[in-house]
Parts: sequence; C-alpha cells; structure tokens
Amino acid sequence: MNKFVKGIAVAGLATAMSQGAVAACGDVTIAEMNWASAEFMANVDKIILEEGYGCSVELIPGATLTTFASMDTKGVPDVAPELWTQAVEVPLKAAFAAGTLLSVNPKPIAGAGEGWVVPSYTMANNPELKTVLDIIERPDLFPSKEDPSKGAFVGCPAGWGCQQVNNNLFTAFDMEAKGWVLIDPGSAAGLDGAMAKAVQRGDDYFGYYWSPTAMMGKLNMQMVDFGVPFTEMEHWTNCITQAECADPKQSAWSASEINTIVTDSFVKNNDPKAVAYFTKRVFPAAEMGAMLVYMGDNQAGGEDAAIEFLMEYEDLWTQWVGVQAANLIKKSLN
Amino acid sequence: MEFLYTFPYMGRVPLRDLKKGIDASFREFSFANGEAIETFFDPLLFFMVWFEKLLIGAPWPLMILIFAGLAWLGARSIPIVIGTIASFLAIGWFGMWEDTMATVAIISVATFLCIGLGIPLGILMSRSNRLQSVVTPVLDVMQTIPSFVYLIPVVMLLGIGKVPGLIAVCIYALPPIVRLTNLGIRLVDKEVLEAAEAFGSSYKQKLLDVQIPLALPNIFAGVNQTIMMALAMVVIASMIGVKGLGVPVLRAVSNQYLALGLFNGLAIVALAVIFDRVSQQYGKRLQKHRQGGHGV
Repeated sequence: MNKFVKGIAVAGLATAMSQGAVAACGDVTIAEMNWASAEFMANVDKIILEEGYGCSVELIPGATLTTFASMDTKGVPDVAPELWTQAVEVPLKAAFAAGTLLSVNPKPIAGAGEGWVVPSYTMANNPELKTVLDIIERPDLFPSKEDPSKGAFVGCPAGWGCQQVNNNLFTAFDMEAKGWVLIDPGSAAGLDGAMAKAVQRGDDYFGYYWSPTAMMGKLNMQMVDFGVPFTEMEHWTNCITQAECADPKQSAWSASEINTIVTDSFVKNNDPKAVAYFTKRVFPAAEMGAMLVYMGDNQAGGEDAAIEFLMEYEDLWTQWVGVQAANLIKKSLN
Repeated sequence: MEFLYTFPYMGRVPLRDLKKGIDASFREFSFANGEAIETFFDPLLFFMVWFEKLLIGAPWPLMILIFAGLAWLGARSIPIVIGTIASFLAIGWFGMWEDTMATVAIISVATFLCIGLGIPLGILMSRSNRLQSVVTPVLDVMQTIPSFVYLIPVVMLLGIGKVPGLIAVCIYALPPIVRLTNLGIRLVDKEVLEAAEAFGSSYKQKLLDVQIPLALPNIFAGVNQTIMMALAMVVIASMIGVKGLGVPVLRAVSNQYLALGLFNGLAIVALAVIFDRVSQQYGKRLQKHRQGGHGV
C-alpha cells in the first residue's frame, strides 16, 4: 500500500513538474482606456494572450489618470497598453524605483503626437497664420458661440492628462488677456462632437487633439507649429503638467511618451513568453492609422477591429509572438 | 441545434450598412438644417448667457438677500429662510459661489421652461385619452433613454454649450410634471365637476377654478420631481460643456478627488432642498383653504 501511494505521489510530482516547466498564464487584467487606439490595442492584446498563451484576460475600462492611480495604489489592472506617461511622470518614476511598476515597452505606437490643431481650410484661407503665436493674435477668427467677442479654444475633458497642460499653456501664452476663452468640452464625446460640428459647417476651429486618431485623418486637421521651442523637461514635468503651477512658461508640446506599463505581480506570476510579447509588439504609424480609419468607417469597436487587424496584418503580428502561439492564434481566427 | 444557442442575427455587413445609412442621413439633415436650428435657439442662448452673467456678476450680499427674500415669499417660514442664508454662505465660503450661480441660472431657466411646457401639455393630455396614449410612450422614452444617445445628434446640430445642456435637462425633467398634471386633473372628483357644471361654469372656469386648484397637490409633486431631476442632470450637462457645479464634480470623478466631489455634490443637494422646500411651502399655502376646510 505504502509503495503504491509513494508511486502515485512520485508520478503526480513528475507530472506537476513537467507542467511547471511551461509556466501557466493565469488571470490577466488589461486596461481598456476610453479612446479608439487604446480600445483597439487592448483587444489585440487580449486575443493574443488568450489564444496564443492560454491566459484568461479581463478588460477593465479606464483613462490615463484613473488607470494609473489604480495600478499605483492597488496593482490592478495588470497591464496598461497605452499609457501616456507625461502627466504622471513623477509618481511613475517613483513606482519604477520601488519596483512596483515596470515599463515593458517604451514605444508601442510609432508616430504619436499631441498638440493644437486647426482645420486645413483655416490654414489655407489664412496663410499668414503659421504658428500658434500668430493664431493667438486673431481670436476674431474663432468666435465663441456664447460670447462672440472672444475666441474659443477647446481644451481637454477631465481625467485626461492634457487638461492640465492646456490650462497651463493657456495661461503661459496669456490667451485670456488676448481675448480667448478656454472651453471645457466635458467629455471625449463633447470634444469630438465640437470639432466634427465645426468642420462640417466649415467654421474655423482651434483646439487640442492628438494622433494617432481617426478624427485627425477624417476631418483633415493639421497640427500647428507652436512657434516656441520645448521648454526644459524639468519645467514640463514639475509645473506644466501639474495643477499647481505658479508660473507656466510658453512651450511647444513635449514629444509624446507612451509606454506599456505592467505591475510587478504580472511579471512574477505569468508566463514569461506572455510578458515578452509586450516587449516586442510595436504598431507602426501607418498600420495604426489604417486601423483607426477602419474603426471610424465601419463603426467597429475594439474587438472587431482587433479581429480585422489579426486577419489583415499577419506578417506584422507574427513577428511579435512565437511560432507556436502564432499557429494557435491563426487557428482561432477561423 | 447550434441554431438555438446563437441567436440568428442580421449579419455584420447589413447591420453595419444600416447603421452607416442612418448616420449618413442624419449628417445630411444636420448639414442642411443645422444653421437654421441654431439660429432658432439663439434668442434663448443670449438670454441664458445674459442671465448667467447677471447672477455671477451681482454682488453676493444682494444675491443672498434676493434668495432669502424669495424663500420668505414662497415659504413664509423663518427656519427655511435661515437655512437658505446659511447654505449660500457655506457655499460661498467653500469657494463654490460662481459655479453655484451658473447652475442656478441654467436650472431655473430649465425649470421654468419645463413647467411652462409641461403643465399645458398635462392639461391637454387629461382632456383626451388618445393624446395620452400617444404622449405616454414618448415620455417613457424621454425618461429612460440614456442621455448621450440623444445628446450625440444634439451636439452635432448645436455644438457643445448651454442650449444642448438645456435640451438635455429638459428632456429628462419634463415627464414628471406632465404625468403628474395629467394624473392630478384626471383624479379630480367627477361629482365636484358635475356640481361645477350644474352651476353653469364655462370650460375655462372649470379648469382654472375647480380642476387645477384640486389637482394642485399632484401638480406640486410634479414640480418637485422636475426640480430634482433637473438638478440631477447637472453633471451630465457639464459633460457637454455646460459651466456650473457639474464641472468640478466631473473633475473629481475623473481624478478621484473625493473632497471636491463631496463639496460640490452637497452644494447641488443644498440647491435642490432649498428649491424644493420653498416650492412645496408655496404649494401648501395655495391650498391652505383645504386645511381644516369644511367644504368649498
């Protein structure tokens, strides 16, 4: 009897050990932030992790500041695929130092940028407006609906890192004295709606936007040169991105920093191959742009777009995953 | 058997084409008529901008005096007047004065508009069962459809700002007053109406002297609910760019500032309670003849 039990125990242990050699991927939570490219990336990651590496993935809605706060304090979600890190530079560096958060990919999207935009026809009709400095002298070209004596500049909604930057740059460029009013659109829908409405009517519009986005392409918007160089990083990080900034200086927008951030518990408890996937996956600007236009034209959500991407751009994503995972994923798409 | 477990659905391409078709036709409509609709609302917009500037620009002791005066006129009750003054002092002390004035401006315009539209609509509904059966489903939709669903077309037509915010608030706040006016008038005792007819009352006399006075408890319940729902929509209105207490609440929610959200939320509650108590007391005074009344 003893020998029998011992035998079973040894057999069981051997099986367990051989299974343990391929570390299982467990439950993974991924942040699905509330803009198109983030939804798309989160869903691509979900399908690849689930089909290729056998993880059990849950998508958690979020936005830059809320998701970061949650990861920093609670360690949930495990992965933020598209975190625009400028707004949270200081606490993020602290987390890196403490080892609770890691950046596994310093540039998951190529060709990203933020800034102030006008429609192309505005630039064409007013060739003397070459930089932001020129535009802010002409609030009369962009009258606000509620107070036509002032120019309207549309900022960012609450919860986005850019809201504070826009507030501070508005002060730094002395726009209020020049006759501008900073309009808070309230929500992503408000921002998109305001821009879409203005462009549809052929009105001149001046506000914030970023790429990669379908809106920039579809509405043919142009980023405007700021006309001033970028201020020092120290000032940007410690003042312009913060709420209490006593004396913001004029500055161009910083180069956008997007990272894929993960928690240390994700790295420790999951298949190293799954973690390695995140380091390899980079979306080049052209492909990301094409997918965003697809999402806009076809009213596709993140999931549909992810499936379309995996079917159309096999050459691209098979470079990010191992052969075994690639085959599993291809099989699941059929 | 697979057929039973996955609902047979229209197909991705036809569904997508249907959705795109609806979007395209709305875009054409918006392109063709947007300017005209915007111009139609312009007087209302100018009034709201002027009113907001007035409330924000007026000296605060004057405003508090006016609110206390209105509270007294409405309620004739010292505790309510003192509560009103104390609330507004606290609101100002915590730095929420301008936002509160902006909210008071848009909510009072919205409330008066809703009451002005709602009571006549309720009266009309009470006259005709057919009208009631047509209007009731519309009211159901207005109360339950998620706000952003009708806000998207409104923002595309009118942009972000006070007018879309007003439309959002009114669509949500109109149904209570309509329903309760309709209910109140229908609930008036038939025998009382017969007595009025027997005495030779005209339709107008019946409506103004018999039906509405007797329906007042229900109508005032409707006014109360309309005010509450208008104030509840303050945050949604701020999601399409309306200034007021909703903006800091939205910031608080997006950035997880608990205290900011709490203070501004309580300011909204204070406004709601003041508006409500004053209007209820006014309603009670209008019906004073019924208390301890012995007939008539």
